[in-house]
Amino acid sequence: MTRSFLARTPSVLIFLAALAVFTLAITLLSEGFGAGLISTSFVKTLGKTLCLCLVALAMDLVWGYAGILSLGHMAFFALGGYMIGMWLMYARTEEIVVTALAQGGLPATPEEVQQGIATQIFGVVGSSELPAIWTFAHSLPLQLTLALSVPGLLALVFGWLAFRARVTGVYLSILTQAMTLALALYLFQNDSGLRGNNGLSGLQNLPGLTDTSQDLVSVWFFWASALALGLGYLALAWVVSGKFGSVIRAIRDDEARVRFLGYPVEAYKLFVFTLTALVATLAGVLYYPQAGIINPAELAPIASIYLAVWVAIGGRGRLYGAVIGAGFVSLLSSLFTSGRLPDIPLGPVSIAWVDWWLVILGFSFVAVTLLAPKGIGGLFDRFLHIGTPDRKGAPLGPDDGSLQEQEAQE
Amino acid sequence: MRLTALLAAALFWLAPVPALAEGEAAAIVAANRDQIEKPSRQSIGQVVTALAASGDPMADDILAAWAEKRLVVRKADQALFLATPEGDGFALTALDGTPAGTAAKAELTALKPNAGVRSVISSALVQFTLSDPDPAKRRAALDSIARDTSPETLAPLRASIPTEDDPGLRAQKERLERILALRFDPDSAARVAAIRALGTDTALDTRAALNPLVATTRIAALKAPGGNVARVLVPGRDLTEAEAYDLLVAANLAPARLTAEDQRAALVANIVEGKVGGVPVADLNTEAARDRAYTALEASGAVPVAATDDEAAKVLAAHRFYDVFTEPDPAVTTAATDALAKIDRKVAAMQAVDLGLDALSLAAIYFLAAIGLAITFGVMGVINMAHGEFITIGAYTGYVVQLFVPDYTLSLLVALPLAFAVTFAAGVAMERLVISHLYRRPLETLLATFGISIALQQILKNVFGTQARPLTAPAWLDGALTFNDVVSISYIRIAIFLLALLFLLFFLWLMKRTRLGLEARAVTQNPAMAASMGINPDRIAMLTFGLGSGIAGIAGVAIGLYAKVTSEMGADYIVQSFMTVVVGGVGNVWGTLAGATMIGSLQKLIEFLNPSNTLAAQTYMILFIILFIQFRPRGIIALRGRAAGD
Repeated sequence: MTRSFLARTPSVLIFLAALAVFTLAITLLSEGFGAGLISTSFVKTLGKTLCLCLVALAMDLVWGYAGILSLGHMAFFALGGYMIGMWLMYARTEEIVVTALAQGGLPATPEEVQQGIATQIFGVVGSSELPAIWTFAHSLPLQLTLALSVPGLLALVFGWLAFRARVTGVYLSILTQAMTLALALYLFQNDSGLRGNNGLSGLQNLPGLTDTSQDLVSVWFFWASALALGLGYLALAWVVSGKFGSVIRAIRDDEARVRFLGYPVEAYKLFVFTLTALVATLAGVLYYPQAGIINPAELAPIASIYLAVWVAIGGRGRLYGAVIGAGFVSLLSSLFTSGRLPDIPLGPVSIAWVDWWLVILGFSFVAVTLLAPKGIGGLFDRFLHIGTPDRKGAPLGPDDGSLQEQEAQE
Repeated sequence: MRLTALLAAALFWLAPVPALAEGEAAAIVAANRDQIEKPSRQSIGQVVTALAASGDPMADDILAAWAEKRLVVRKADQALFLATPEGDGFALTALDGTPAGTAAKAELTALKPNAGVRSVISSALVQFTLSDPDPAKRRAALDSIARDTSPETLAPLRASIPTEDDPGLRAQKERLERILALRFDPDSAARVAAIRALGTDTALDTRAALNPLVATTRIAALKAPGGNVARVLVPGRDLTEAEAYDLLVAANLAPARLTAEDQRAALVANIVEGKVGGVPVADLNTEAARDRAYTALEASGAVPVAATDDEAAKVLAAHRFYDVFTEPDPAVTTAATDALAKIDRKVAAMQAVDLGLDALSLAAIYFLAAIGLAITFGVMGVINMAHGEFITIGAYTGYVVQLFVPDYTLSLLVALPLAFAVTFAAGVAMERLVISHLYRRPLETLLATFGISIALQQILKNVFGTQARPLTAPAWLDGALTFNDVVSISYIRIAIFLLALLFLLFFLWLMKRTRLGLEARAVTQNPAMAASMGINPDRIAMLTFGLGSGIAGIAGVAIGLYAKVTSEMGADYIVQSFMTVVVGGVGNVWGTLAGATMIGSLQKLIEFLNPSNTLAAQTYMILFIILFIQFRPRGIIALRGRAAGD
């Protein structure tokens, strides 16, 4: 117990080293800083993938460790994206508007600039008023504070309501899914103040850096994403390594028993839920400037379910599993849906990967759930000779934890 | 003198031989030839009345032709004919109805009665058809009057009422008479009486007739206007000050205010050596600086003087604002306002009834979509995320059946059991292959069924394409049961409601009266104890899962009948179905019913309160459900006993 955190969890060092090597390699191969062997769009894809790995880490903590199958974490992710997107769009539009107004002969008044920005941004939904939620959009620090506090508060309030009512298991999953759907439907409206289904766009253009090539910007964001992932991994590994980690794993395995032992189960769950929501938000803040566009479809419940799929395929209950799952599946996904793979001719019909990829994903997901509950991470166990205890034989009764045939005889 | 002669002539022709009406019209025309060729509004009435009363079948043709300027004089012999355009010229018909050859345009002179005369003729024509012996023609005439109301039709309509012997038509005529009277009767008391007599008739045409009576125009004036004032408006309370000022500007009572764009343009136009009114251009980046510059320009006379805020307020204070009825008679407007208020109350009550019907039918749909889910969740504790896809499969089964069976009624009868069979089989297969391996791991079941859902949805999309496929309802399900202009419900929705009712009864029977139901309830309450009693929980789970999926298939056919069939249609209902189950409580048919009723009513109510925005309605509904869970975490009807303890 006296050993240091890093000594107890050697996987953290291995992971950080691998991430550092990967980052260095990509940087050296990128168009912005190195040999130019990797296209800028692929660097962006990799940067986005790192952000997805970060949100998968959060999902793993809340699901794999604490046993809360949240189908709402992509909502926090997208909310973060919206918040940073508001600043990016506002600041960028401001530059354009000020330049345009200066052509008119008089220097612009603040009111005119405000009006110009509002018309520019909201003309598409037939409005020329800047909604109240854009009050802080002019300032990066304020908007960043909002970006973290709004999803954080949402998670806190929602989690408090849900855990207080002792909503658990599939009920909680459905409830988080409902929250996501409610948020998505709300944002789809034109009068939500976030441009309805048009969403926010042009986020890849950083204000004040109009002359900087996207080659450089993409690598910067890649670095930021890698840094965030590394720090996030370190922080979450530290959170789950100590006593706190033991308690939340215990809550996952038998909530009632932990409650009877005197632990405030709801407080632990609420903390984990909110913390992971914040990590997801941070990932979103880094993801959407690289994606360039955000719209309410990003919040659809399906996105959160894919997140669960990544974590399940990668392996729950181990942080590197989540990272591997998210990276592997999302990269595979973008490969198959890119349309670059040739169709498979099958006599009269040909099978397009774009059409059938989701079918493959769906069924392989079922297969992983059925046959390899540990996911890809389970391969490491086999490599390290860690197995599940063999309890021999089928269970005697349908209840949880009933004795197995052999145990009963002993 | 002339009048008496005319009257005498009319009587002479009319009185003796009404039975021998043939040719009578021609004779009347001949007798009043000079009147007809140079008619005046005052005197022509007698001739027209005589013609109308002649009983000659040609009379209305003559009148109609006359009104349409087709009554012509042949120049050669000064004889009168009815002309019908034919090729370059006209086909002629003699006044007694016999064809009389053709003539070129140049050979004829058309009689051109003026507008006043034409209106006399047309009201006579109306009376003609309103007293036609054929009820169908009378009805058609009534309809045409109702479509195109005009003051002239009131008198003939009134005249035709006492002789009307068909009670239905008579009621219709009396109603139309009131609608016309309230607008066109010259006597104010008669109009008020007509409005009162209509009472709380909620039909659209009544409201359409009453609404113009209470139409108002908004005016600004220095003192009270002479008209029928509806109400006095106070700026700041009844209308914003900006609106009030705009009214003043529109009435030329005040100068327009200076807009930011105008000010900017004026300033730009007056830049002199980098300065405007003594203020450097570079400093003009605030409103205050621009106002200063503009005031300086005003002082020098370079720009027109614009109203300042003080001046605007002064002008506003000096004027009064009124809503004035376009209808000048206060008695009529008061009566109409009262009548409309009463009608509005009645319409609101009926809208509530209509909303209730809508909510019921929506609840029926949610019930159908959710009952299968609730049963499987109750018995097995697993949520089937692929439930929505089973709904879709059911709908596509209906579509495929319609491809082979062209008769819609028959195809529906085939599709319902077939959809049940297909989705039952799919459900059992899924239970055997996947879910039975994942018992006691509900979260993983959730995800595994979700994987199946993704795959199934994509397969359906690949097979059937992304565009919507039609699932056509039989003709006898088209249309709606209409109670009045407000309350109506389409037959399809009634059919779905009945289907849901049928399944409610079926499930009650199944769960309470059969062996399978007994065993299912036992497994729901305590699977271990049920197993000890010799019940095979696996078999029960398989059958209930199949049953739940089968009902999803039937729900799919029902939903497909009124919504388009796409590969995503099931996903649209799945969240509502989950909500229904969560709100209602699991493992209980009544719970699902209560949940469906609550979600359906709530959704309709929110949509009614916020009709422009159905997306927001769903948002608010979900928020409500999240709060509802706070108070009843296990749903409206919660299971008691050990099953509730987990």
